[in-house]
Amino acid sequence: MDASRRQSGIQQLLAAEQEAQQIVNAARAAKSARLRQAKEEAEREIAEYKQQMEAEFQRKVAESSGDSGANVKRLEQETAAKIEQLNQQAASISPEVIQMLLRHVTTVKN
Amino acid sequence: MNDADVGKQVQQMVRFILQEADEKASEITVAAEEEFNIEKLQLVESEKRKVRQEYERKEKQVDVRRKIEYSTELNAARIKVLQAQDDVVTGMKESAGEALLRATKDANTYKRILKGLIVQSLLRLREPALVLRCREADRSLVEAVLEVAKKEYAEKAKVNLPKVIIDGKVYLPPQRTARDSHAPSCSGGVVLASQDGKIVCDNTLDARLSISFRQKLPEIRKKLYSKEAS
Repeated sequence: MDASRRQSGIQQLLAAEQEAQQIVNAARAAKSARLRQAKEEAEREIAEYKQQMEAEFQRKVAESSGDSGANVKRLEQETAAKIEQLNQQAASISPEVIQMLLRHVTTVKN
Repeated sequence: MNDADVGKQVQQMVRFILQEADEKASEITVAAEEEFNIEKLQLVESEKRKVRQEYERKEKQVDVRRKIEYSTELNAARIKVLQAQDDVVTGMKESAGEALLRATKDANTYKRILKGLIVQSLLRLREPALVLRCREADRSLVEAVLEVAKKEYAEKAKVNLPKVIIDGKVYLPPQRTARDSHAPSCSGGVVLASQDGKIVCDNTLDARLSISFRQKLPEIRKKLYSKEAS
Protein backbone atom coordinates (compact mmCIF):
# COMPACT_ATOMS: atom_id res chain seq x y z
CA MET A 1 0.00 0.00 0.00
CA ASP A 2 1.05 3.54 -0.58
CA ALA A 3 2.64 5.21 2.47
CA SER A 4 0.79 8.47 1.91
CA ARG A 5 -2.59 6.72 1.65
CA ARG A 6 -1.87 4.84 4.92
CA GLN A 7 -1.10 8.17 6.55
CA SER A 8 -4.31 9.73 5.28
CA GLY A 9 -6.32 6.80 6.68
CA ILE A 10 -4.79 7.24 10.10
CA GLN A 11 -5.36 10.96 10.01
CA GLN A 12 -8.99 10.41 9.18
CA LEU A 13 -9.33 8.12 12.16
CA LEU A 14 -7.59 10.59 14.46
CA ALA A 15 -9.84 13.36 13.22
CA ALA A 16 -12.86 11.17 13.84
CA GLU A 17 -11.64 10.49 17.39
CA GLN A 18 -11.25 14.17 18.01
CA GLU A 19 -14.67 14.91 16.67
CA ALA A 20 -16.10 12.11 18.81
CA GLN A 21 -14.46 13.59 21.87
CA GLN A 22 -15.90 17.00 21.07
CA ILE A 23 -19.38 15.52 20.66
CA VAL A 24 -19.17 13.87 24.08
CA ASN A 25 -17.67 16.95 25.71
CA ALA A 26 -20.42 19.10 24.28
CA ALA A 27 -23.01 16.74 25.71
CA ARG A 28 -21.31 16.89 29.09
CA ALA A 29 -21.18 20.69 29.02
CA ALA A 30 -24.84 20.79 28.09
CA LYS A 31 -25.58 18.52 31.03
CA SER A 32 -23.84 20.86 33.49
CA ALA A 33 -25.69 23.79 32.03
CA ARG A 34 -28.96 21.93 32.35
CA LEU A 35 -28.33 21.17 36.02
CA ARG A 36 -27.54 24.79 36.69
CA GLN A 37 -30.79 25.62 34.99
CA ALA A 38 -32.50 23.28 37.42
CA LYS A 39 -31.34 25.43 40.31
CA GLU A 40 -32.38 28.66 38.64
CA GLU A 41 -35.81 27.41 37.66
CA ALA A 42 -36.30 25.92 41.10
CA GLU A 43 -35.47 29.26 42.70
CA ARG A 44 -37.93 31.03 40.45
CA GLU A 45 -40.69 28.60 41.28
CA ILE A 46 -39.97 28.88 44.98
CA ALA A 47 -40.01 32.67 44.86
CA GLU A 48 -43.36 32.56 43.12
CA TYR A 49 -44.69 30.14 45.71
CA LYS A 50 -43.50 32.39 48.50
CA GLN A 51 -45.29 35.32 46.97
CA GLN A 52 -48.47 33.31 46.74
CA MET A 53 -48.24 32.22 50.36
CA GLU A 54 -47.52 35.74 51.51
CA ALA A 55 -50.50 37.12 49.63
CA GLU A 56 -52.73 34.41 51.08
CA PHE A 57 -51.39 35.08 54.55
CA GLN A 58 -52.03 38.80 54.29
CA ARG A 59 -55.53 38.14 53.08
CA LYS A 60 -56.22 35.87 56.03
CA VAL A 61 -54.82 38.41 58.47
CA ALA A 62 -56.99 41.19 57.05
CA GLU A 63 -60.03 38.92 57.18
CA SER A 64 -59.47 37.89 60.77
CA SER A 65 -58.88 41.42 61.94
CA GLY A 66 -62.17 42.40 60.36
CA ASP A 67 -63.84 39.55 62.20
CA SER A 68 -62.29 40.41 65.53
CA GLY A 69 -63.31 44.03 65.14
CA ALA A 70 -66.87 42.91 64.61
CA ASN A 71 -66.65 40.60 67.60
CA VAL A 72 -65.44 43.35 69.88
CA LYS A 73 -68.25 45.58 68.75
CA ARG A 74 -70.81 42.87 69.35
CA LEU A 75 -69.36 42.29 72.80
CA GLU A 76 -69.60 45.98 73.63
CA GLN A 77 -73.20 46.10 72.53
CA GLU A 78 -74.10 43.02 74.53
CA THR A 79 -72.43 44.43 77.62
CA ALA A 80 -74.19 47.75 77.30
CA ALA A 81 -77.50 45.95 76.89
CA LYS A 82 -76.88 43.79 79.95
CA ILE A 83 -76.02 46.81 82.06
CA GLU A 84 -79.04 48.70 80.80
CA GLN A 85 -81.32 45.82 81.69
CA LEU A 86 -79.66 45.55 85.09
CA ASN A 87 -80.28 49.20 85.84
CA GLN A 88 -83.90 48.94 84.76
CA GLN A 89 -84.42 45.88 86.88
CA ALA A 90 -82.81 47.57 89.85
CA ALA A 91 -85.03 50.61 89.45
CA SER A 92 -88.11 48.44 89.36
CA ILE A 93 -87.33 46.42 92.46
CA SER A 94 -85.66 49.20 94.41
CA PRO A 95 -88.72 50.52 96.28
CA GLU A 96 -89.73 47.02 97.31
CA VAL A 97 -86.23 46.20 98.50
CA ILE A 98 -85.93 49.42 100.48
CA GLN A 99 -89.28 48.81 102.13
CA MET A 100 -88.20 45.31 103.03
CA LEU A 101 -84.93 46.52 104.51
CA LEU A 102 -86.57 49.30 106.51
CA ARG A 103 -89.10 46.88 107.89
CA HIS A 104 -86.33 44.57 108.91
CA VAL A 105 -84.40 47.34 110.61
CA THR A 106 -87.27 48.84 112.50
CA THR A 107 -88.90 45.60 113.59
CA VAL A 108 -87.57 44.31 116.86
CA LYS A 109 -88.67 40.90 118.03
CA ASN A 110 -87.71 40.28 121.58
CA MET B 1 -6.19 -5.59 -0.10
CA ASN B 2 -6.41 -2.82 -2.57
CA ASP B 3 -6.71 0.90 -1.89
CA ALA B 4 -10.45 1.01 -2.38
CA ASP B 5 -11.03 -1.62 0.29
CA VAL B 6 -8.75 0.14 2.76
CA GLY B 7 -10.52 3.38 2.06
CA LYS B 8 -13.89 1.73 2.69
CA GLN B 9 -12.70 0.21 5.94
CA VAL B 10 -11.44 3.54 7.18
CA GLN B 11 -14.76 5.15 6.32
CA GLN B 12 -16.56 2.43 8.22
CA MET B 13 -14.36 2.95 11.21
CA VAL B 14 -14.85 6.66 11.09
CA ARG B 15 -18.61 6.19 10.94
CA PHE B 16 -18.41 3.77 13.84
CA ILE B 17 -16.40 6.15 15.98
CA LEU B 18 -18.80 9.00 15.33
CA GLN B 19 -21.82 6.78 15.90
CA GLU B 20 -20.47 5.70 19.26
CA ALA B 21 -19.88 9.29 20.21
CA ASP B 22 -23.44 10.23 19.25
CA GLU B 23 -24.84 7.40 21.26
CA LYS B 24 -22.79 8.39 24.25
CA ALA B 25 -23.81 12.01 23.86
CA SER B 26 -27.41 10.90 23.68
CA GLU B 27 -27.09 8.91 26.90
CA ILE B 28 -25.56 11.89 28.58
CA THR B 29 -28.34 14.17 27.41
CA VAL B 30 -31.07 11.79 28.56
CA ALA B 31 -29.39 11.38 31.94
CA ALA B 32 -29.03 15.13 32.13
CA GLU B 33 -32.72 15.60 31.56
CA GLU B 34 -33.60 13.09 34.25
CA GLU B 35 -31.23 14.64 36.73
CA PHE B 36 -32.55 18.06 35.86
CA ASN B 37 -36.08 17.03 36.73
CA ILE B 38 -35.13 15.23 39.91
CA GLU B 39 -32.89 18.03 41.11
CA LYS B 40 -35.45 20.71 40.37
CA LEU B 41 -38.26 18.77 41.98
CA GLN B 42 -36.28 18.05 45.11
CA LEU B 43 -35.19 21.63 45.52
CA VAL B 44 -38.68 22.98 44.95
CA GLU B 45 -40.41 20.51 47.24
CA SER B 46 -37.96 20.91 50.07
CA GLU B 47 -38.13 24.70 49.95
CA LYS B 48 -41.90 24.69 49.54
CA ARG B 49 -42.23 22.57 52.64
CA LYS B 50 -40.12 25.04 54.60
CA VAL B 51 -42.16 27.94 53.33
CA ARG B 52 -45.41 26.20 54.21
CA GLN B 53 -44.18 25.46 57.71
CA GLU B 54 -43.12 29.06 58.15
CA TYR B 55 -46.51 30.36 57.14
CA GLU B 56 -48.29 27.84 59.29
CA ARG B 57 -46.27 29.11 62.21
CA LYS B 58 -47.09 32.70 61.34
CA GLU B 59 -50.77 31.96 61.01
CA LYS B 60 -50.82 30.21 64.34
CA GLN B 61 -49.14 33.21 65.95
CA VAL B 62 -51.76 35.53 64.55
CA ASP B 63 -54.48 33.16 65.64
CA VAL B 64 -53.14 33.01 69.18
CA ARG B 65 -52.85 36.76 69.32
CA ARG B 66 -56.42 37.18 68.18
CA LYS B 67 -57.64 34.70 70.74
CA ILE B 68 -55.79 36.50 73.51
CA GLU B 69 -57.18 39.83 72.38
CA TYR B 70 -60.70 38.48 72.36
CA SER B 71 -60.26 36.81 75.71
CA THR B 72 -59.00 40.08 77.15
CA GLU B 73 -61.99 41.92 75.77
CA LEU B 74 -64.30 39.28 77.13
CA ASN B 75 -62.79 39.58 80.58
CA ALA B 76 -63.05 43.33 80.50
CA ALA B 77 -66.70 43.05 79.50
CA ARG B 78 -67.41 40.59 82.29
CA ILE B 79 -65.75 42.84 84.82
CA LYS B 80 -67.82 45.74 83.57
CA VAL B 81 -70.99 43.79 84.16
CA LEU B 82 -69.88 42.64 87.59
CA GLN B 83 -68.98 46.19 88.51
CA ALA B 84 -72.38 47.39 87.37
CA GLN B 85 -74.03 44.69 89.47
CA ASP B 86 -72.05 45.79 92.48
CA ASP B 87 -72.86 49.45 91.86
CA VAL B 88 -76.53 48.71 91.58
CA VAL B 89 -76.60 46.80 94.83
CA THR B 90 -74.61 49.45 96.67
CA GLY B 91 -76.95 52.06 95.26
CA MET B 92 -79.86 50.26 96.81
CA LYS B 93 -78.17 50.17 100.16
CA GLU B 94 -77.53 53.89 100.00
CA SER B 95 -81.12 54.56 99.05
CA ALA B 96 -82.19 52.48 102.02
CA GLY B 97 -79.88 54.54 104.21
CA GLU B 98 -81.59 57.68 103.04
CA ALA B 99 -85.00 56.16 103.65
CA LEU B 100 -83.93 55.45 107.22
CA LEU B 101 -84.10 59.14 107.90
CA ARG B 102 -87.84 58.89 107.41
CA ALA B 103 -88.14 56.02 109.86
CA THR B 104 -87.60 58.23 112.84
CA LYS B 105 -90.04 60.97 111.87
CA ASP B 106 -93.04 59.78 113.82
CA ALA B 107 -92.25 60.13 117.52
CA ASN B 108 -94.58 57.38 118.73
CA THR B 109 -93.39 54.84 116.22
CA TYR B 110 -89.81 55.78 116.93
CA LYS B 111 -90.33 55.50 120.70
CA ARG B 112 -91.66 51.98 120.21
CA ILE B 113 -88.65 51.08 118.11
CA LEU B 114 -86.28 52.56 120.68
CA LYS B 115 -87.86 50.57 123.44
CA GLY B 116 -87.56 47.38 121.44
CA LEU B 117 -83.93 48.12 120.65
CA ILE B 118 -83.08 48.79 124.27
CA VAL B 119 -84.72 45.55 125.40
CA GLN B 120 -82.97 43.62 122.69
CA SER B 121 -79.59 45.08 123.65
CA LEU B 122 -80.18 44.31 127.31
CA LEU B 123 -81.07 40.73 126.45
CA ARG B 124 -77.96 40.41 124.36
CA LEU B 125 -75.60 41.84 126.94
CA ARG B 126 -77.13 40.36 130.11
CA GLU B 127 -75.23 42.83 132.26
CA PRO B 128 -76.42 44.21 135.58
CA ALA B 129 -74.94 47.63 134.96
CA LEU B 130 -74.74 49.32 131.61
CA VAL B 131 -74.14 52.56 129.79
CA LEU B 132 -76.45 53.70 127.03
CA ARG B 133 -75.56 56.10 124.26
CA CYS B 134 -77.99 57.77 121.93
CA ARG B 135 -78.19 60.85 119.78
CA GLU B 136 -78.59 64.06 121.69
CA ALA B 137 -81.83 64.72 119.83
CA ASP B 138 -83.23 61.35 120.93
CA ARG B 139 -82.41 61.72 124.59
CA SER B 140 -85.88 62.73 125.72
CA LEU B 141 -87.49 59.84 123.80
CA VAL B 142 -85.02 57.39 125.32
CA GLU B 143 -85.69 58.68 128.80
CA ALA B 144 -89.39 58.24 128.16
CA VAL B 145 -89.13 54.53 127.40
CA LEU B 146 -86.11 53.48 129.45
CA GLU B 147 -87.93 52.32 132.57
CA VAL B 148 -90.48 50.32 130.62
CA ALA B 149 -87.70 48.71 128.68
CA LYS B 150 -85.80 47.81 131.84
CA LYS B 151 -88.89 46.21 133.33
CA GLU B 152 -89.62 44.25 130.16
CA TYR B 153 -86.08 42.95 130.13
CA ALA B 154 -86.11 42.02 133.81
CA GLU B 155 -89.32 40.05 133.28
CA LYS B 156 -88.12 38.26 130.21
CA ALA B 157 -84.68 37.42 131.60
CA LYS B 158 -85.93 36.78 135.09
CA VAL B 159 -83.35 39.05 136.67
CA ASN B 160 -83.36 42.19 138.73
CA LEU B 161 -83.75 45.55 137.14
CA PRO B 162 -80.46 46.53 135.54
CA LYS B 163 -78.75 49.82 136.13
CA VAL B 164 -78.69 51.84 132.93
CA ILE B 165 -76.96 55.18 132.77
CA ILE B 166 -77.46 57.39 129.76
CA ASP B 167 -74.11 58.82 128.71
CA GLY B 168 -74.42 62.58 128.98
CA LYS B 169 -70.91 63.34 127.88
CA VAL B 170 -70.66 61.49 124.60
CA TYR B 171 -73.61 61.31 122.28
CA LEU B 172 -74.01 59.48 119.02
CA PRO B 173 -73.49 61.83 116.09
CA PRO B 174 -76.55 63.56 114.69
CA GLN B 175 -78.49 62.79 111.53
CA ARG B 176 -76.70 63.16 108.24
CA THR B 177 -77.33 66.58 106.72
CA ALA B 178 -75.74 66.92 103.30
CA ARG B 179 -76.28 64.05 100.89
CA ASP B 180 -72.69 63.09 100.33
CA SER B 181 -71.35 64.20 103.66
CA HIS B 182 -68.81 61.74 104.97
CA ALA B 183 -68.85 63.12 108.46
CA PRO B 184 -69.88 60.55 111.05
CA SER B 185 -73.64 60.42 111.42
CA CYS B 186 -76.26 58.30 113.03
CA SER B 187 -79.79 57.65 111.80
CA GLY B 188 -81.12 56.63 115.17
CA GLY B 189 -81.13 53.75 117.62
CA VAL B 190 -78.96 53.11 120.65
CA VAL B 191 -75.63 51.69 121.65
CA LEU B 192 -75.38 49.82 124.92
CA ALA B 193 -72.25 48.68 126.68
CA SER B 194 -71.29 46.96 129.87
CA GLN B 195 -70.20 49.43 132.44
CA ASP B 196 -66.52 48.77 131.88
CA GLY B 197 -67.08 49.40 128.20
CA LYS B 198 -65.66 46.05 127.20
CA ILE B 199 -68.79 44.50 125.71
CA VAL B 200 -70.74 46.64 123.28
CA CYS B 201 -74.02 46.11 121.49
CA ASP B 202 -74.43 48.44 118.54
CA ASN B 203 -78.14 48.70 117.95
CA THR B 204 -78.13 51.83 115.86
CA LEU B 205 -80.38 51.83 112.82
CA ASP B 206 -77.28 52.15 110.64
CA ALA B 207 -75.68 49.05 112.10
CA ARG B 208 -78.95 47.19 111.75
CA LEU B 209 -79.21 48.25 108.15
CA SER B 210 -75.76 46.89 107.42
CA ILE B 211 -76.62 43.57 109.01
CA SER B 212 -80.01 43.32 107.32
CA PHE B 213 -78.51 44.24 104.01
CA ARG B 214 -75.86 41.60 104.28
CA GLN B 215 -78.39 38.98 105.32
CA LYS B 216 -80.82 39.85 102.59
CA LEU B 217 -78.21 40.18 99.89
CA PRO B 218 -78.82 36.73 98.34
CA GLU B 219 -82.52 37.47 98.19
CA ILE B 220 -81.90 40.88 96.67
CA ARG B 221 -79.59 39.37 94.10
CA LYS B 222 -82.14 36.76 93.20
CA LYS B 223 -84.76 39.43 92.64
CA LEU B 224 -82.32 41.41 90.57
CA TYR B 225 -81.28 38.61 88.28
CA SER B 226 -84.45 36.59 88.10
CA LYS B 227 -86.02 38.72 85.39
CA GLU B 228 -82.71 39.21 83.64
CA ALA B 229 -83.06 37.29 80.41
CA SER B 230 -79.64 36.62 78.99
